[in-house]
Amino acid sequence: MSDSHIDREVLSDLQEVMEDGYLQLLETFLEDSEKRLSQLHEAKSADELAHAAHSFKGSSSNMGAVALAELCRQLEDRVNQGPLQGIEDLINQIDREYSAVRALYRAECQRVSSE
Amino acid sequence: MSQFAHDLEALTVLIAEDGAADRLLLATIVRKQGHQVLTAENGEQAVALFAQQRPSLVLLDALMPVMDGFEAARQIKALAGEALVPIIFLTSLSEEHALVRCLEAGGDDFLAKPYSPVILAAKIKAMDRLRRLQATVLEQRDQIARHHNHLLNEQRVAKAVFDQVAHAGCLSASNIRYLQSPYALFNGDLLLAAFTPAGDMHVLLGDFTGHGLPAAVGAMPLAEVFYGMTAKGYGLAETLREMNAKLKRILPVGMFCCALLLNLSFQRRVVEVWNGGMPDGYLLPAGGGEPLPLISRHLPLGVLAPERFNDTTEVLPLALGERLFLLSDGVVDTSDEHDQLFGVERLRRVLSANRQPALLFEEVLQALEQFRGRSRDDVSLLDIEVVEPQVLSPPPVIYSDSGQSSPLDWSLQFEFRAETLKRFNPLPYLLQLLQEIHGLRAQGGALHSVLTELYSNALEHGVLGLDSALKRDAQGFAAYYQVRNERLQALCDGFIRVSLRVEPDRQGGRLIIEVEDSGQGFNVSKVLARSVSEQGLCGRGLNLVRRLSRRAEWADEGRRACVEFAWEALA
Amino acid sequence: MAVVSEVSPDGKKLTIKVKGRFDFGKHQEFREAYERKPKMPDSVVVDLKEATYLDSSALGMLLLLRDHAGGDDSEIRVVNTSSDVRKILAISNFDKLFDIT
Repeated sequence: MSDSHIDREVLSDLQEVMEDGYLQLLETFLEDSEKRLSQLHEAKSADELAHAAHSFKGSSSNMGAVALAELCRQLEDRVNQGPLQGIEDLINQIDREYSAVRALYRAECQRVSSE
Repeated sequence: MSQFAHDLEALTVLIAEDGAADRLLLATIVRKQGHQVLTAENGEQAVALFAQQRPSLVLLDALMPVMDGFEAARQIKALAGEALVPIIFLTSLSEEHALVRCLEAGGDDFLAKPYSPVILAAKIKAMDRLRRLQATVLEQRDQIARHHNHLLNEQRVAKAVFDQVAHAGCLSASNIRYLQSPYALFNGDLLLAAFTPAGDMHVLLGDFTGHGLPAAVGAMPLAEVFYGMTAKGYGLAETLREMNAKLKRILPVGMFCCALLLNLSFQRRVVEVWNGGMPDGYLLPAGGGEPLPLISRHLPLGVLAPERFNDTTEVLPLALGERLFLLSDGVVDTSDEHDQLFGVERLRRVLSANRQPALLFEEVLQALEQFRGRSRDDVSLLDIEVVEPQVLSPPPVIYSDSGQSSPLDWSLQFEFRAETLKRFNPLPYLLQLLQEIHGLRAQGGALHSVLTELYSNALEHGVLGLDSALKRDAQGFAAYYQVRNERLQALCDGFIRVSLRVEPDRQGGRLIIEVEDSGQGFNVSKVLARSVSEQGLCGRGLNLVRRLSRRAEWADEGRRACVEFAWEALA
Repeated sequence: MAVVSEVSPDGKKLTIKVKGRFDFGKHQEFREAYERKPKMPDSVVVDLKEATYLDSSALGMLLLLRDHAGGDDSEIRVVNTSSDVRKILAISNFDKLFDIT
């Protein structure tokens, strides 16, 4: 697992706080994130796009997905301040980054369930 | 995190957050800190939950579907009313503009993502302190408001009760003008006036030390003594002694009542003055000119023990059109911005300059206002004009019995000797007794006047041997009363005998009063032969007695007066 | 301190100095100036040299002091009175209770 995707310290803090609810938190985050991704892709206005990016940024940062949060921040800034060209590219980067962290969180789920 | 739980009372915290993972995380953190948690997914749910459950603190995401956090914050603050419900915005908003919007919508603080449980706990704690502080302030404010209303109401009731007592008097008489701030009672000022049974007028202007309720407390017993004793025909000296003794008994040391008392006799055209601690009052000449001060010569009421109290009064002659002007210390103690006092000299200039009596109060108030730059509301002013007695109509005495059991055939004799004459005024007792004769009640005022006159003649000219010729002018007048006091204090023998005889006479009856003294007597025919103008200030007495009674004779070389009153059968 | 009190070395005289306005605001201080003495000195001097004004509650305080010092048997002198202060004391005839100079 590469530390450039996830801050491991955050994860261990979360496990300590959530205790038995840790697994549920990981699963909820993954469900939530699927919803945010489709919002990013289906956004019909700059506002909707900014809103989705903002929310995704917040939840990823809470979960220690530092690179994903940073990409979402860039997207939010770009939508709000421009320039708009190259935005699709940024969304694609977010897709890729999410695929990577999803694998890591699923592995974490496995680890916790088997404990 | 559970160590925080013990520092805080459990709160109900509402969490409104769009993202399910963030909501779950936040709810878990807050719950672990010992609080109850309510959760909402958008602003609309948050407002509905708030209205229903009234949580004490709200964590609110700014960007939410359906209703955003800004609108939800506004509605929650409106629902909360005066109570402080802290709202912490959950946001990673970095723009200044967005943060300002949070504050404008009623946000009290921010919490940025990623959430730190330690920071969140600290913020909840700080906000809870603020919330409690506000709640305490509101509670205290409401308590103060309740107390204040309560106090105002008590003052209203107290004033109403007091007005009942105070207005038993004759402040509304046609020759009296007065000005008193509506709540002067709570400044400690007191103004009382009442007619004696003989038609004389007793007036009191008093000022209790201090303000507020303590100052007002003493007013009630003082008014009671004043009205009670005046109505029974007691003189100023007895009333003063009783008031002083009563206040000395009931007031704590350090509280007292400055007072100026007058006994105005419009019949005999004299005024008796006692001033203990009040600013000088004034006798204002009829046509303008130098006012004569009525100086404070005594300690205030309630200071001295009864045995040390001095009830010596001064007696001054009065002329028609003269006026007595009394005031509270609010006037002379008014100070300007340099702490200069308005003072007696400025007041005297206003009094001397006055031409139209009706404008005097306005002139005094105007002078105060000019001096100070603003008006004040704790001034009491009183102005009494010397008028013909018939102008005034003392209210009829109200008798408490039914009038069915009037004894009609009796006689009584009293002898009052030196020690008694010094301290005791027997007139109220005699008058009380004579009130039993219902047929005489219509002539009550005349009866009082005549008996008073006969008694003071017997005492002053008879027992004390004073020459009424002394009273020829104002100086002599003062000297006369000074000598009177001296001789009375030194008196060791002499007597006054009073005999009252009531006889039925056809349908009605008659009363024969004889007053005899141990003095030298006087040349009756010579005194009675004098014309009214010749008699001036000194001879009014005998004529008054002759005018008011059916028959008046002097025997035994003037040592014994015999006066008769008669009445017809009652319907 | 607007009210200063001092007991003479032989313990026989208490001097109380009042500065500024002598009114209800000084109530507490004035009382403390004589109440906390283990033994009340025989004679008391109230020094009003620096007192600018005196109202009726100050008169009440003087009466309380007099009562505390033995009432009619007390020996209290009020000294250094300005003409304004003397006028107020004179109107109330306090010279009958206090030795005022």
